[in-house]
Amino acid sequence: MVFDAEKDYYAILGVSSFATPQEIKRAYHKLARRYHPDSREAQTPTRLFHQIQEAYSVLSDPAGRNAYDRQRDELGRGDETAMAWQVLLSRKTLYSKHEEQVFYALLEIGPAVALGDERIPLDLSVVIDRSTSMKGARIENVKEAARQIVDQLHDEDKLALVTFNDRAEVVMSGRVGSTRAQAKAKITALRSEGGTELLQGIRFGLAEIGAYPGQDVVNHLILLTDGRTYGDDRACLAAADRAGKRGIGISTMGIGEDWNDDLLDEIASRSGGTSAYIASPSQVRTLLEKRIRSLGSVFATGLNLTVRSAAGVRVESAFQTSPSLERLHLSDGMTRLGALEIDAPRKVLLEIVVERRSPGEHRLLQVELTADVPGLDLKSERLKRDIWCTFTEEEVSPREVKVPPAILNALSRTTLYRMQEQAWSALEEGQVDRATSQLEMVATRLLDLGEERLARAALLEAEHITKRGNPTAEGRKRIKYGTRSLDTGRKAYD
Amino acid sequence: MIECPCCGRKHRPGTLFCTECGVYLPTGGPLGTEPIPERDLPAARAHAWGADADRETAEQLNAVLRIKVLSSDRQIQLPSGEDVRVGRLDAAHGIFPDIDLTPDGGLEGGVSRRHCKIYEEDGDYFVEDLGSANGTFLDGERLTPYLPHVLEDGDKLQLGRVELEVAIQR
Repeated sequence: MVFDAEKDYYAILGVSSFATPQEIKRAYHKLARRYHPDSREAQTPTRLFHQIQEAYSVLSDPAGRNAYDRQRDELGRGDETAMAWQVLLSRKTLYSKHEEQVFYALLEIGPAVALGDERIPLDLSVVIDRSTSMKGARIENVKEAARQIVDQLHDEDKLALVTFNDRAEVVMSGRVGSTRAQAKAKITALRSEGGTELLQGIRFGLAEIGAYPGQDVVNHLILLTDGRTYGDDRACLAAADRAGKRGIGISTMGIGEDWNDDLLDEIASRSGGTSAYIASPSQVRTLLEKRIRSLGSVFATGLNLTVRSAAGVRVESAFQTSPSLERLHLSDGMTRLGALEIDAPRKVLLEIVVERRSPGEHRLLQVELTADVPGLDLKSERLKRDIWCTFTEEEVSPREVKVPPAILNALSRTTLYRMQEQAWSALEEGQVDRATSQLEMVATRLLDLGEERLARAALLEAEHITKRGNPTAEGRKRIKYGTRSLDTGRKAYD
Repeated sequence: MIECPCCGRKHRPGTLFCTECGVYLPTGGPLGTEPIPERDLPAARAHAWGADADRETAEQLNAVLRIKVLSSDRQIQLPSGEDVRVGRLDAAHGIFPDIDLTPDGGLEGGVSRRHCKIYEEDGDYFVEDLGSANGTFLDGERLTPYLPHVLEDGDKLQLGRVELEVAIQR
């Protein structure tokens, strides 16, 4: 089969690279009718018709298509980009006779080139909950932390300070260099009163970002709250979606026990930000400072991951495992990963289910990553990789498969996180026994890892549920965010 | 479908960890370290701790320590400045030693998952047994668990039945 891998036959036929043979045939017939030299419609030179025929002759032959795909993939790999990645697979050989089987892919994404010392300016909104419940240590610590941020930010950064209770208010907004003193005075004057209307705060905060267009900046919103919002959950998520599309990440920080962790996690995940649990008010400062520092070391922004799968292949679950553990939600195969920091490579673990395949090599997935690199003035940098597996008629015993340690490490962390997730969902369905036994198993694993304090928290929680039938708000958050920030690599020994 | 040996939950083939109970499925849980019969181990003599107490500790910074696994001829250079844990990888329990002796016959050789650690302090290298099932032997003497001992160039270390040779270049 003669083909030219430089040509994009799929684009010529106007089909996806995972199109079924039927789809390819249909597309070809439609185009052939239209561009056939004998057709009255045909105004274009016959060269186009030959292209269409060439494309079809390659793509309609399974072996030819396979070979063409292979070579296209190789070609794509040579692309010089500002980012580099590594794709690891739990196994490359699969057994052709399993109805369905699982394998895992770990993507490790990092910068491929060094940036200068210059830091990309931040366009930051800090949105602070000042409802009555924040009174006392909480608001005082937040104020202290906010003043510290003002000092930490650079002169050319832009900062907007938004507070909200029943309504939202922009306390100050502008370049940090010219508004430092004013900003700190305004922060000191904050008082807590009223309820918690999250949506208003988020809307006002987002509106302040992007006031100086035409410059490469890192857009971000930091939301600090301690309460639950009622009735505007959906609108908050929609706002997070829109923020994500505009390239604004939202980092959420929940203080204390009463906030809605599912909502704040989802807001962060949809916009490409992170979420954190602040157990005691004194942690606000350290966490905020860390967040600002990492925003200051951003290499790429608007990192989007798209996974396309062949027929009979699906992504069962997706997790970001580094820098922090987050469950990723793919919508139409796409998920937002937010900003990539220089020193914190991004790792994404995919759990993939494959249906029965004939022996031989098969292209199962295509992963594509796009991002902007503001420091190098690059827009929509693109990395693309096909994932191939060989199917054989001989089954290899799972014990003999050498799984890369990085995948095992990532998997053992996500497994623990999923175990506690299941405990909470069992509880929501009223299965108290299952929830407690699940929590006890989480505790056992945590003990194996030497995480005694977290293990004890899980056991206490299990006991509380047995006695009362419901979890404590604090325990639930401690275990959830605790299992998420586990670093089993070394901690296992400490 | 494969069944979790621990909790019985069914999983698709290829699954590595049971999401119900967290067990590593290919092995059905942590690999246990089988005790080796007493006669197969070097005779344990009481170790005179402190015999080296008066040895000089000075000027020997930047020493490089290499370990050679005699059975497999594998040579490993230790990263300086941090504790190096030697043992056997057990992903199910999140145990990822810096030096994994599984490929050198660690399991059959009775190496524990957390067997011993080697570290540097003021230019000297130390070995410390971490309460391993089959013991750490330094030149034939079984080390008291959790009691560090100085390593010298040419020392023979034995973890269970796996023999290592220590080379220190100053």
